[in-house]
Amino acid sequence: MRRTLDFLYVASGVLAAICLSSIAVVMLLQAGMREVGLLFRGADDIVAWLCAASAFLALGYTFRHGELVRVGLLIDRLPPAGRRRAEMIALGAAVLVVGYILWAAANFVYESWKFNEIAQGLIQIPIWIPQMSFVLGALIFFVAVLDEFVVLITGGTPAYRRAEALHRSGVDANEAP
Amino acid sequence: MTTITVAIILFVLLLVLLAGGLWIAMAMSVVAWFGLQFFTTSPPEVNLFQSYWGSSASWTLAALPMFVWMGEILFRTRLSEEMFKGLSPWLGWLPGRLMHVNIFGCAIFAAVCGSSAATCATIGKVALPELSKRGYDERTSLGSLCGAGTLGLLIPPSIIMIVYAVAAEVSILKMFLAGVFPGVLLVSLFSGYIIVWALLNPGKTPTAVEPMSFGERVRRARNLIPCLVLIGFVMGVMFTGVATATEAAAFGVLGALAIAWWSGSLTRASFATSLMGATRLSCMILFILAGASMLSACMAFTGIPRALAEWVSAAQFSPYALIMVLAIIYLLLGMAIDGISMIVLTTSIVLPMIDAAGFDLIWFGIFIVLLVEIAQITPPVGFNLFVLQTMAKREANYVARAAIPFFIMMLLAILVVSAFPQIATWLPDAVLGATKK
Repeated sequence: MRRTLDFLYVASGVLAAICLSSIAVVMLLQAGMREVGLLFRGADDIVAWLCAASAFLALGYTFRHGELVRVGLLIDRLPPAGRRRAEMIALGAAVLVVGYILWAAANFVYESWKFNEIAQGLIQIPIWIPQMSFVLGALIFFVAVLDEFVVLITGGTPAYRRAEALHRSGVDANEAP
Repeated sequence: MTTITVAIILFVLLLVLLAGGLWIAMAMSVVAWFGLQFFTTSPPEVNLFQSYWGSSASWTLAALPMFVWMGEILFRTRLSEEMFKGLSPWLGWLPGRLMHVNIFGCAIFAAVCGSSAATCATIGKVALPELSKRGYDERTSLGSLCGAGTLGLLIPPSIIMIVYAVAAEVSILKMFLAGVFPGVLLVSLFSGYIIVWALLNPGKTPTAVEPMSFGERVRRARNLIPCLVLIGFVMGVMFTGVATATEAAAFGVLGALAIAWWSGSLTRASFATSLMGATRLSCMILFILAGASMLSACMAFTGIPRALAEWVSAAQFSPYALIMVLAIIYLLLGMAIDGISMIVLTTSIVLPMIDAAGFDLIWFGIFIVLLVEIAQITPPVGFNLFVLQTMAKREANYVARAAIPFFIMMLLAILVVSAFPQIATWLPDAVLGATKK
């Protein structure tokens, strides 16, 4: 179970990375084709969709790396028992929020699938196809948050907490903004 | 219920959620949901979807992951060693000698990298050991790196400027151009401080200069070529209008990969690490932007920003008083939260106010970027402090104290840019034409 879940997060992270690098490929291809007088129809739409997919699909993966920022100023100063309780409240709230995001995304995309809405722009495909990256990303994000919550209430230390501790000590601070 | 009451309720809720350690993007979404659900008739779930999707599926914003990736690639090359080799023979004549490598190295790297911590770390990892080996004063060396690292945000390309441009709906290109002269100003202030410091403390700068012929110096300067070519190329295609910022960023990635390949540091592993690092960082930023976009939608429905803007223009504050108050608020915010959150949390409220008071939004962007730079070096939360603390194996407070003179130089830069807004607005207006107003 643990390994399956970890694989899921890494796999979605890799998929997001592929989307991100594809942005560069599409942009360069478009520029190259323009040079030789060809038109890459709909490149702008594809780039926008890839940008969204790279963000949404990476949510769960980034979350587990402790890189979604939050204000640790107050809760980090609590004594261990209080710190644990605060973490449970924050993470519990996160489960609700991400659950809501998942529901909102799934609901909206279901509607656009039901009414067969077509993308506005040069690429005339049903809009639910690119929008699925949001639903899928939110789903994996939800699984990741729930997973960490279960780890926390069963007495373990969530992966993002370990990663955050590493960031604080500055080990890979180069990845901070 | 009056608009002001609603504003206070939402503000307190946001504070509680942020202080409670909820992830920033989620906290913004919760506040937005609360505001929409209870104070407007607009369905929150529809707003959530449209804000999240609309802010992320954006062609303009695609420049952000590209510039992030470019920085991640260059961080893992030998660029910083080459920069040190190329710059050091040319700066020995200035009082303070190699200390200036910190400033100019950061400034040049900032022109290919959009992040402050990455600039600081890249230059620091070479300059810090080299300077201490030669007996330079550690404190000033750390302080100058800490301060100059923040140039990554001001000198284009800049991730924080993209975030601001998207939030304020101004042109990314204009923001980039506006950063050029304030960047030069800040470099001069930093270098000027080091010169004055070195003249006042003559004992603290080692006198030994490596004897080097002019030809040798020129030969060493060739180390700078790859970086300068990349800068010239990316800025060139962007500012001449050959390519948009997003396209230029994609070319930048290509150029960065070429430099990494040329210097032999492009391996399968380094490529993968840079790509995954870029994916996480840009995911974090885009998620915050999504949350902020939902909060802006909520703000628009509740009418809070409009009410505040009307209040500000009715109260007839002097514009400078307004700017002063905002500067103090941002300085305080910057101590506790990171720069990107600082911008997106406040733009939907502050920008209508600034607009109503008659300020130029591009100028205000530079003003806010300078304040975000300061936030990088003020404790307890300052990313440059975290970076240097590990490198120098010193306490964060020691690094923060070392950075105080440079903190003062940055405040000075804010004053100068406020007194002479043309420093920021002249170049974008000259190149791209003045704004309509």
